[in-house]
Amino acid sequence: MENYDVLVIGSGGAGMRAALEAVRQKDLRVGLMTKMFPTRSATGCAQGGINGVLKNMDPDDSLEKHIFDTVKGSDYLGDQDAIEYFVRQMPDAIRELDYFGVPFSRDAEGRIAQRNFGGASSPRTCFSADVTGHVILHTLYEQCLKHGVKILTEWYLLQIVVKNGELSGVVGYDMKNGSIVPITAKAIVVATGGAGRIYWLRTTNPFTSTGDGMAACLDAGIALKDPEFIQFHPTGLADTGILMSEASRGEGGYLLNNQGERFMSRYAPEKMELATRDLVSQAIETEIKEGRGFGQGLSAYVQLDLRHLGREKILERLPQIRELAITFEQVDPIEQPIPIRPSCHYTMGGIDVVDYRTCATTVTGVYAAGEAACVSIHGANRLGGNSLADIVAFGKFAGKGAADCARQRVIAEPSWVNAAAQSWEERFSLVTCRKTGAKISDIRDRLAEIMWNNVGVFRTETEMAEASTTVDQLIQEYQTVPVPNANKVYNTTFVNYIELGSMLTVAKAVVLGALHRQESRGSHCRADFPDRDDVNFLKHTLISKRAADYNIAYRPVVVTRHQPAERKY
Amino acid sequence: MRQITYKIERFDGTRKFIQEYSLVHQPGKTILWGLIAIKDTMDPTLAFTAACRSAVCGACAVRVNGQAVLACETSLDTTLDRFGDVLTLAPLQNFSVIRDLVVDWEEKSERLAAVKTWLMPQDGFSAQTGCRQTGSDFKKINTQAGCILCGACASECSKLTANSADFLEPFTYSKVWKFVADTRDQAATERIKGILDKGLWKCLHCAECITKCPKGLAPGEDIARLRRFSLRMGHDDSSGARHALAFLQDIAETGRLNETKLSMRSIGVWGSIKKLPLALRLLRRGKLNPFHLPRKVAGHDQIQVILKAVKESEQA
Amino acid sequence: MKYAFFPGCVLEGAAKENYIATTKVANALGIELVEIPGWSCCGASHVQDVDELAITALNGRNLALAEAMGLPLLTVCNTCTLMLRKAKAQLDNGQKEKVNQILAKANLHYAGNSEVTHLLWVIAGDYGLEKLKKLVRRPLTGLKVAGYYGCHLLRPPAIMDFEDYANPQSLENLIVTLGAEPVDFSAKLQCCGFHATYPAENDVIRITGRTNQSAAQAGADCIVTPCPLCQISLDINQQEGLRAVEGSRELPVLHLAQLIGLALGFSVDDLGINMLVSGREQFAARLS
Repeated sequence: MENYDVLVIGSGGAGMRAALEAVRQKDLRVGLMTKMFPTRSATGCAQGGINGVLKNMDPDDSLEKHIFDTVKGSDYLGDQDAIEYFVRQMPDAIRELDYFGVPFSRDAEGRIAQRNFGGASSPRTCFSADVTGHVILHTLYEQCLKHGVKILTEWYLLQIVVKNGELSGVVGYDMKNGSIVPITAKAIVVATGGAGRIYWLRTTNPFTSTGDGMAACLDAGIALKDPEFIQFHPTGLADTGILMSEASRGEGGYLLNNQGERFMSRYAPEKMELATRDLVSQAIETEIKEGRGFGQGLSAYVQLDLRHLGREKILERLPQIRELAITFEQVDPIEQPIPIRPSCHYTMGGIDVVDYRTCATTVTGVYAAGEAACVSIHGANRLGGNSLADIVAFGKFAGKGAADCARQRVIAEPSWVNAAAQSWEERFSLVTCRKTGAKISDIRDRLAEIMWNNVGVFRTETEMAEASTTVDQLIQEYQTVPVPNANKVYNTTFVNYIELGSMLTVAKAVVLGALHRQESRGSHCRADFPDRDDVNFLKHTLISKRAADYNIAYRPVVVTRHQPAERKY
Repeated sequence: MRQITYKIERFDGTRKFIQEYSLVHQPGKTILWGLIAIKDTMDPTLAFTAACRSAVCGACAVRVNGQAVLACETSLDTTLDRFGDVLTLAPLQNFSVIRDLVVDWEEKSERLAAVKTWLMPQDGFSAQTGCRQTGSDFKKINTQAGCILCGACASECSKLTANSADFLEPFTYSKVWKFVADTRDQAATERIKGILDKGLWKCLHCAECITKCPKGLAPGEDIARLRRFSLRMGHDDSSGARHALAFLQDIAETGRLNETKLSMRSIGVWGSIKKLPLALRLLRRGKLNPFHLPRKVAGHDQIQVILKAVKESEQA
Repeated sequence: MKYAFFPGCVLEGAAKENYIATTKVANALGIELVEIPGWSCCGASHVQDVDELAITALNGRNLALAEAMGLPLLTVCNTCTLMLRKAKAQLDNGQKEKVNQILAKANLHYAGNSEVTHLLWVIAGDYGLEKLKKLVRRPLTGLKVAGYYGCHLLRPPAIMDFEDYANPQSLENLIVTLGAEPVDFSAKLQCCGFHATYPAENDVIRITGRTNQSAAQAGADCIVTPCPLCQISLDINQQEGLRAVEGSRELPVLHLAQLIGLALGFSVDDLGINMLVSGREQFAARLS
């Protein structure tokens, strides 16, 4: 039995920022639980930058503009009160990162350098070459070392235990020791990241982005908000889906079809390649569909051309992009265009946060932040540079919120988490004894295939209905899946089994949300409902789950200053 | 069909064993592809870690035929060309192994924390105002900031393999140098003092870390930078420091090394006396001649002029 | 073939037998070595810890002296090779102008037109093993030789790019050419620790013990290395090393030139092999 006042789950940028905030309250027992060593997190994959109105590059930039860009980028689905709160925090949050030690690229006056990014009306994306997420992640880890944050490394979240609408604690799997551990906690912050791996082979995400926290919350009675909004990043490497940063477009890269044409001129004549991700991804897929791509079928692609930027700029501003293109696509961007295609990148939706100031959810004691959560500031489409911003801003609020909550609560009766842990022991024995059933990797691959083909960039009722049936079928098969590995020490088979369960749980919510949203908005692009429908769908989807049954409900979007208008770039 | 073999050094928590897996070769794949193929299709019990599969998270470092690499970025074909169709995969060296290819980072992070690898900002800066730094000063720390904590350098470090009690992981020295070189930091002096007795002069100069780092860092070079900095601070009273200084002194005096003086200068009279049995052995074999005092080399005046010009250039 | 010869400091001191062996072997092979007049210490992988510009400039002088002879530079020491090549790489990648300003004060100029190579690379490369094979008078038949590369002829590969650092073959190929049998051993690519002899003495002794034991257990009759520093370290620390790893069998550690010399017909005494501290009696017996 372990116990904490505040337990943060997930050690990416949001989780570590939350833990740092909570640990400031000297009298609280704070723990940071993570299924891998902290610096392995998806935050490290973020390349391009972090948005904040510092006005270093453009004195005419303003909070107003960042707010409006984010609202417009969200296709008006973002809550405007939350967006305003977020945007106002960002300049301070970035200066604080500088003070923490993040090595930012600099302008001529030694201030943090800023660059152009998709959907932004001013150059406000702060960066460190093209490894911004990496340096933020490592700097936050350094700060955790500095403040002596207790890190439970390689502890896997099995269950969030809720009794009577209040948090009791969690059940963790201490992988290194090979034991299932009941943990009581007064408050938790769920910062477990996204679920991009439901598109297993066509995602920029690490293997670990399996929606663990989202599924655990759904199972604990907390809704998922807007799960149907999945961002497809326009520039994933054609073969592997690995990310080519938006900075490649921000620095002036061209997108070319097989005619050598900068096709964005037809989709976003003004912004061209710097339109938002949803629009660019849809443009690329349209080009491919209409025969103007290279290659065929799943291996079709268009080109990202950086050659005109010149060797020096590529080496200084986009060194990692170049390395990745050389390693994984055998193409040197200095010499040749890079084959790219959209790749699942980000889950705008997530755990339903009901108070953006604290990141509280509907269950007392449970807080959520980062990609796992949905506040919502990203709405139907997140702007590049707003995710690193999200994790440091809301990570901090969640850490504070959870700490304040912990002070108000007493530790729960341990018998509930003990009982939950006991049933996990039984489940471990049960599944590791099974001899027959479908293979974990087969179910995983079939899920990815149906999700990419039927719930991808373009969606229709028929295709999604088929996906829904298939996902249900896979969930059925999952009930009897064997885990042929009974050794409890670092049992990655068992972890993969639970991860698959999480992916199925989240995928079903994605399909349901998408099926019922009969409009096209942001990343959710329906061939059968091509227009945005503000009359019927200017609202958040809320998917909840009781036992095996999913329910769907809606909540109005908070609109303050910016009335929905047509989105043009 | 071309078959290839992964021979994997496994560990189940109590027992070590080697297991061989035969795979059908596919062109254009990576080492990690093979591990995933084994786990997905042959043996789900195989444990390894991997996350980003794009060489930025550091999770998948393993040893392939004695070379630490990131499995995700290492071309299988290139590796097969190098070593043949049977590959031996093992966990990183100089780490505790948890299971199969999974190693324990916890103790490494404690060792990082022990030398305070975090920014201690200058007094003029604050969390509210942030910091200032020139573009060229950013470039001084940019390379070291690229460390992904994959552990390849620690795995291959000859000194750590010999004895890790009085030496740190190479990446740790790179991190310390990053902060010493960071113009936003105020604790360079304290940092240097902190590593004087943590192996600063014990690196064997084997260049394994420089060779194996997948991100282009050169921890060995960073150790040299830290040593120079420590000497400028006046920390010249260790045998390693005296040894290095003795070389430059010999070059300045004659142009070449004086082996007899070197021992005295590095470890002093008492240290040298302790080495007497060895010295006698060398004397007996004619390998040591205490009366060999090198004369000044031809062109010694050039050497003096060069050293003087170097000093002037460095002061300018 | 003609080279500006850079013997390095230990060939004047503790490994002077290698000077003799190298000269004899080069003569026999028809490789002309002209010692660089007034060469100075390469810095031995230490001087950069004190003053990086100083050692770059001093090696700039060494390189300029070889250029003045109109010859490529040849060494028989791993660390000398690395130090000189590293200086050359730094000069050729941005430091040239700065260092030439310094060298100019000593009436020297670095142009960058002399390559730096090592005897092993010459023989395994341009000279050719086929040509060497024809000159072998006494094939070392039945002799099991552990080829120990040492660090600085392989690493870092950005500077030492003769062959694959992870799977080098030049020594083994050379051993076969001489009629001997190469043995594979786990310590083949490991570090001897020489450069930390003073600050990390106990580690170096243990490393010596492990390395020798690794070669001995693989059945080697001797170790051969292209580096006199590896040779010294593995030879003179061997008694203590064996004690540290509870080993017993002494192994002679030969320099590359000495092993080639044996196959060319020179005697143990000719080549200074009798000056080894460890295993020389057993080795002499094994040869006869």
